Amino acid sequence: MLFNGITKKMDSSLLILLVVTIILIVVLSILLPNTFLSLRNFQSMAYQIPEFGLLALAMAIAMMTGGIDLSVIANANLSGILAAIILTQNITPDTAGSQLILIIALSILSALALSAICGLLNGLLIAYLGIPAILATLGTMIFFSGIGMAITEGRGVVGFPDLFLYIGFGKISIFPLPLVIFIIAAFIVGVIMDKTAPGQKIYLLGANPVAARFSGIRNNVIIIKTYMLTGFLAGLSSIIMISRVNSAKVGYGHTYLLQAILVVVLGGVDPAGGKGRISGVLLGIIILQALQSAFTLFGFDPYSKRLIWGLMLLIVMIINFINAKRKERVRRVKKIA
Amino acid sequence: MLNKIPKTNETYLVIVIVVYSIIVTFVNKSFMSVENFFDILRSGTGVAILGVGVLVVLLSGGIDVSFTAIAISSGYIAVKAIMALGIDNLLLAFIISCSIGILLGAINGIIIAYFKLPTLITTLGTLNLFHGLLLTIVGTKSVNAGQMPKCFIRFGAAKLLTFTSARGTTVGLSVFIIPLIAVILLTWFLLKYTMLGRSIYAIGNNMESAMRAGINVAKTQLFVYCYVGFLDGIMGVITVSEVRWVNPVYLVGTELTVIAAVVIGGARLTGGSGTIFGALLGISLVTILNSTLVFLGLSSSWMDFFVGLIMILSIGYTSYQNKIENQRLLIFK
Repeated sequence: MLFNGITKKMDSSLLILLVVTIILIVVLSILLPNTFLSLRNFQSMAYQIPEFGLLALAMAIAMMTGGIDLSVIANANLSGILAAIILTQNITPDTAGSQLILIIALSILSALALSAICGLLNGLLIAYLGIPAILATLGTMIFFSGIGMAITEGRGVVGFPDLFLYIGFGKISIFPLPLVIFIIAAFIVGVIMDKTAPGQKIYLLGANPVAARFSGIRNNVIIIKTYMLTGFLAGLSSIIMISRVNSAKVGYGHTYLLQAILVVVLGGVDPAGGKGRISGVLLGIIILQALQSAFTLFGFDPYSKRLIWGLMLLIVMIINFINAKRKERVRRVKKIA
Repeated sequence: MLNKIPKTNETYLVIVIVVYSIIVTFVNKSFMSVENFFDILRSGTGVAILGVGVLVVLLSGGIDVSFTAIAISSGYIAVKAIMALGIDNLLLAFIISCSIGILLGAINGIIIAYFKLPTLITTLGTLNLFHGLLLTIVGTKSVNAGQMPKCFIRFGAAKLLTFTSARGTTVGLSVFIIPLIAVILLTWFLLKYTMLGRSIYAIGNNMESAMRAGINVAKTQLFVYCYVGFLDGIMGVITVSEVRWVNPVYLVGTELTVIAAVVIGGARLTGGSGTIFGALLGISLVTILNSTLVFLGLSSSWMDFFVGLIMILSIGYTSYQNKIENQRLLIFK
């Protein structure tokens, strides 16, 4: 549970992450007194975090099994396109009431179902055909965007009813609806990973697949479940994404891929699998979003931002490496002593 | 049986390419013409050289997505440098471009070899780093045919052998084929007959065993990425000369298609197996698909669909074979 993690079982790296987050927010508030520390900025951050955060959660789960899912964005695009098509084909300006709600619900469910099926495809390729996760999801990424391109010819599908847009812009008391969805999803995923058997099996599988297999864990089933969940989260993200921009298009959000990996690595997930907490990933998301807002407020152009994300990813991983080496050396010294 | 797998893959590919070409020729007879063949060769050379680089990295058990950023950086900087220096020499252009390529490749190599970071994530980071650096520091202005130094334009237009076709137009085999063949021969020789090349295969197959056999893994990896940078540098000049125009924003974004093509050609991500011939076949298939889908009445939007589908099918096939083989031999990975 997130609560337990913060109060009781917080290990050092998570604590460091929390401290870094707080320091960062303080520093940025000082550097940009009126712009960063404004209700408007926090509100815009609160609206932007969910669609990216769900993708980051999806990536985190896949990476905890020692794999990776490069196809989350393409998956989200495709599911979004499906939802958009259902919405635009069946709704005229005078559709209202229960029929409207029905069609919207249908579009959402279809998107979620499709995204889970795409995740299932990933899982099958990785588990049953033995394709390495990088290649499998690279192939499905190209394949999914290929389907999306073939359907839309590269154009966007536009024009959603206002009730649907409420998902992206609505509020529950003071909280944006997408943020509520995201927090609930993060909470559920955190509980799954920490407290349930499948979650623990994911960790075991990631840490040592061979040992997991010999321990009686059905690797194939776990992998399929993992990638289906990943796909589902991508689908959830796509609903929020398309309702925020009122259109569905191939390629939207493609910059999120690098950022998702960055956030996951920042949050303490080991790309080799087996280690990492959802709470860490959440802190990573907050750090990234804060930096993102700050860069926009500073006026950085998109190319400089890419440079910084790339550089950050490398630096974080190098720091992790040096840290791991240091811990190993300390452990070895302790053994001798 | 393990020996047969690469050969089977390439045989399948040849069959697929031949069959597809025949189908396309039925639809549009001008496909099977020497002119078209030379055209495809000219536009495909750059990608083919990149593909050879990707193959070498895959053989070493890694994956590199930053090569397009290296290629465009090298090419763009070479053009700008020649324009600034005023020395209109193609050889100088190559030297500048390859040096930048080797430098950027070395950055990749050092991070991967000495910090032992996972290759995909590292090169994902350097892709954005290099491209971001190029666009931020060097600029985003494109250089069109009018401003481009003549050496590039001459290189792009030069032909190795020419003849007049039945319609009276001059058709020529571009000189691009010379660097292409040189790269292929060099890489082939390197992989097959040098200790360095054998080390690359060894690391890709099983890094642990390679280390215990005394192979210097770090040095080999460093070499791999520098070599790829070198190849990307060559490609940078070629691509600039081919389209007579360079915009630093372009080229990046195509890396996945190139990797897909090479993997279709049979190179295994798990490293250690794959042939230059296979890689070239994969690239040929994707290049031909690119230019001929239009003939079959499908818009270019369908390209990704087919590439993704073929990729899944071909990797699925080789991976499944590999998995069955591992099960039979009781190898647990």
